[in-house]
Amino acid sequence: MQTTIAVENSDALAALRGFLKSLLEKGAVDALMVPLRARGGAVMPALVSDPALLDEADPLPPVLAINGARLVGALSIRPPRGRIGAVLRACEIRALIELVKLQQASLEDLLIIGLDCAGTYTQTDYAKMIQAAPEAEHWRKLYADPLAERPLRDACRMCERPLPENANIVVQLLEADLDVGIPVTLPDELGERLGLTPGASARRGEVAEKLIADRTATRDAVFAEIRQQLSSPEGLAELFATCIRCHNCMVNCPICYCKTCLFRTPAFDHEPAQYMTWAMRKGATRLPSDTLLFHLTRLNHMSTSCVGCGMCTDACPSEIPVGRVFRAVGEKTQAIFEYVPGRSVEEPLPVTTFREEELAEVAIP
Amino acid sequence: MARTPKVGVYICHCGINIAHTVDVEEVAGFAGRLPHVAVARHYTYMCSDPGQNLIKQDIEELGLTHVVVAACSPLMHETTFRLACQEKGLNPYQFEMANIREQCSWVHAAGPETTEKAKQLVASGVSKAILLEPLAEREAEVTPAALVIGGGVAGIHAALDIADAGFRVVLVERGPALGGRAMQLHKTFPTLEPVAGLIAPLIARLLGHPRIEVLTEAEVTEVSGYYGNFEIEVAIRNPQSAICNLQVGAIIVATGYDLFDPTALPEFGYGQYPEVITGMEFERLAAGGEITVNGKTPQDVVFIHCVGSRDAHRALPYCSRVCCMVTARQAHEIQQRLPEANVTVLYMDVRAFGKGFEEFYDEVRREGVLYRRANPSEIIRRGDKLIVRAEDTLLGEAVELPADLVVLAVGMTPRADTEKLAALLRLSRSPDGFFMEAHPKLRPVDTATGGVFLAGCCQGPKDIPDTIAQARAAAAAAMVPLMRGKVKVEAAVAFVEEELCAGCGVCAELCTYGALALHPVRGVMTVNPVLCQGCGACAMACPSGAMNLHHFTFDQVMAQVDTLVGHLS
Repeated sequence: MQTTIAVENSDALAALRGFLKSLLEKGAVDALMVPLRARGGAVMPALVSDPALLDEADPLPPVLAINGARLVGALSIRPPRGRIGAVLRACEIRALIELVKLQQASLEDLLIIGLDCAGTYTQTDYAKMIQAAPEAEHWRKLYADPLAERPLRDACRMCERPLPENANIVVQLLEADLDVGIPVTLPDELGERLGLTPGASARRGEVAEKLIADRTATRDAVFAEIRQQLSSPEGLAELFATCIRCHNCMVNCPICYCKTCLFRTPAFDHEPAQYMTWAMRKGATRLPSDTLLFHLTRLNHMSTSCVGCGMCTDACPSEIPVGRVFRAVGEKTQAIFEYVPGRSVEEPLPVTTFREEELAEVAIP
Repeated sequence: MARTPKVGVYICHCGINIAHTVDVEEVAGFAGRLPHVAVARHYTYMCSDPGQNLIKQDIEELGLTHVVVAACSPLMHETTFRLACQEKGLNPYQFEMANIREQCSWVHAAGPETTEKAKQLVASGVSKAILLEPLAEREAEVTPAALVIGGGVAGIHAALDIADAGFRVVLVERGPALGGRAMQLHKTFPTLEPVAGLIAPLIARLLGHPRIEVLTEAEVTEVSGYYGNFEIEVAIRNPQSAICNLQVGAIIVATGYDLFDPTALPEFGYGQYPEVITGMEFERLAAGGEITVNGKTPQDVVFIHCVGSRDAHRALPYCSRVCCMVTARQAHEIQQRLPEANVTVLYMDVRAFGKGFEEFYDEVRREGVLYRRANPSEIIRRGDKLIVRAEDTLLGEAVELPADLVVLAVGMTPRADTEKLAALLRLSRSPDGFFMEAHPKLRPVDTATGGVFLAGCCQGPKDIPDTIAQARAAAAAAMVPLMRGKVKVEAAVAFVEEELCAGCGVCAELCTYGALALHPVRGVMTVNPVLCQGCGACAMACPSGAMNLHHFTFDQVMAQVDTLVGHLS
């Protein structure tokens, strides 16, 4: 059913909160995972069971502290699990779909509420921005004119999939007059349960198309640049030259699902003599060791599932464009298997599929 | 208690196979200076008794903890050397082989670089060897019964042998009757005996055997379990249809063949002219009394060899092995029964390689059968005769042969549903589509799946004696575990480090042997070590290293790689 949630006093946030509350009050879900304003003003995801606390819910600020897919995984990985609604952005849903296929999350009894995303800022940038202007102004501006040039997160500027896929409820924020109403698409049965009546269908049009085209162009320019750098072993080494092996990129990656990364096991605790051997043989050996191997291994393990959320880049204290590398490499590895991460739970993971004719052509430069 | 490793390294000359290309003395000298190596020797043939004695003596006198032999592929002699180690009390899994023949001396020219590579391979083997741990070879109990799939000549012989040896056999036949293709044949070649007369007593003995249960109109629908303990589901599809569950220790596949369908080659007019028949149809014609075509005795009979065979572009690339002699026997039959008839055989080559075959072929030609080397192009009708058009490839000219009867010697093909059974039994197929044996030379009746053996034409075209030979060989092979009552279980199998396993299930999806399953409560992967064949696909796919393979652990393989890389830079 397509319908529009009425907005009173131009307060879209209040209308959205009201809609989320109705999900709890009408028993559509037992709890909602939604960004909640905590003490001190920070907005972080919380699992909310008390409708009254949804007065503090705020999924609109254009900032992404964490990819919520892993959190949904923790809430759903094995029964008994409650009926949960999760408010997520497009890249978070894509990551969730990948985790379902990796058996790290379940869609059972899960209601995905997907929001249109016009992009997000890094936490640091956003903290400064809200010093300068009230918060609501930022998301209002963003949704009113999503095509304007803005210092968004690197991943968002090249995100060509800003609209939620595989969501049960789609909350349309792009190309909607948010002062009047929020267009929502949801299953008929659920709509009736919430007492909603079908309304005019609100179509996304030129702006969403232009947004996707702009971002695709940015993405392609970024790919061309990063591939130029990656085209030689030296370029690859240079890109990761400042890696301090903190593993933050891995910790913040929604796809990296290993309980303990291989690189944090004793497999990579080398004997002191080993370092000496390397130093003697090569004249010098880089410390900390195994950094390039770490990134290459991670590319090998999960580039086919990379959804481009860019949490890795945000997490890197050395400001290495990890996300760019993963997206550029991922595009190639995904293409080999005609695989699109986050597209469908039915689509088997490349690593588990075997085709007699696969990888027949290996390009040797 | 872990002891400091003490490694013995043995470089094999393999006659001149290695020594001609690799400086074995230099490699031995190099190996002797590697850390933890107590002794390094080179010898003409390490696999010979004196060669093995060198190892045994050193284990005894020097107290070696690990042994490395640099020689041929482990497929050749790994077992030989493991047994030698075992004899002197060393765990067979503390032995490592470096392949410096197939992967070095045979593929490179003689010279210092080849010797250098041999050194690298040896050093890498030593690096792994010092990390090798003893593994316990375990055994599983065997269900003392066998399943035979297929009630043709192969299946009957295999079933009888196993039952005669004292084991219970269940024979599952898809059709309503036993005897298979052979029962459709008229006479044998070159011995000219009626086939039914040979098979009927065997069927009678089979049906009367106290230890053989025959299920006709039945099909195997599910196979689970493992070598020594298979669980089989059979669907019986006769009026009393039923599902039947069996437990067996070994399985013999004897499902036979289909015939090439000559309608795929329309130039022969099969299906269009009633006078054009297949060799198998001729068998029925010959067995049915008077040989007549359209109510008349044929005057001109043409046999065409290799219909659909040896034709990679349009039909089957392979030779079906029996058609040459079947045709000779059929031509002989016409010549004997219709002495007035003109009998011509159009051939590409005549393959008369078996016992008495060439003699029979000579005899048939002496009787007056005309063999023409020719390449038939089409069959047309002219008046009340068919005309076989061909190029005589010896004369190099086009010929036209009148015919009242044309017999097409069509080849054998895999059964149409071979893939279905292959999936059930986890069998591989060779490029020709028949079931693939474990090794084309050394293991012609085994398959890659332990406990499953092949008999007869399901493995490839063959005649009756070859079929029986393979069937009885398969029976003997299947009886080895049945008689012992136990099967060895591979010790180099996968294992899980549970604290690392996130339970993503990727490995289980890759496992061909169904050996992996997610623990329903703990959410981690579990390995069935009897089903696991140690292929390592799971360990390759596991991103966290939770899935590992004994004897090829992450650390062991990385040590090999480190050593190789170290030598390179």
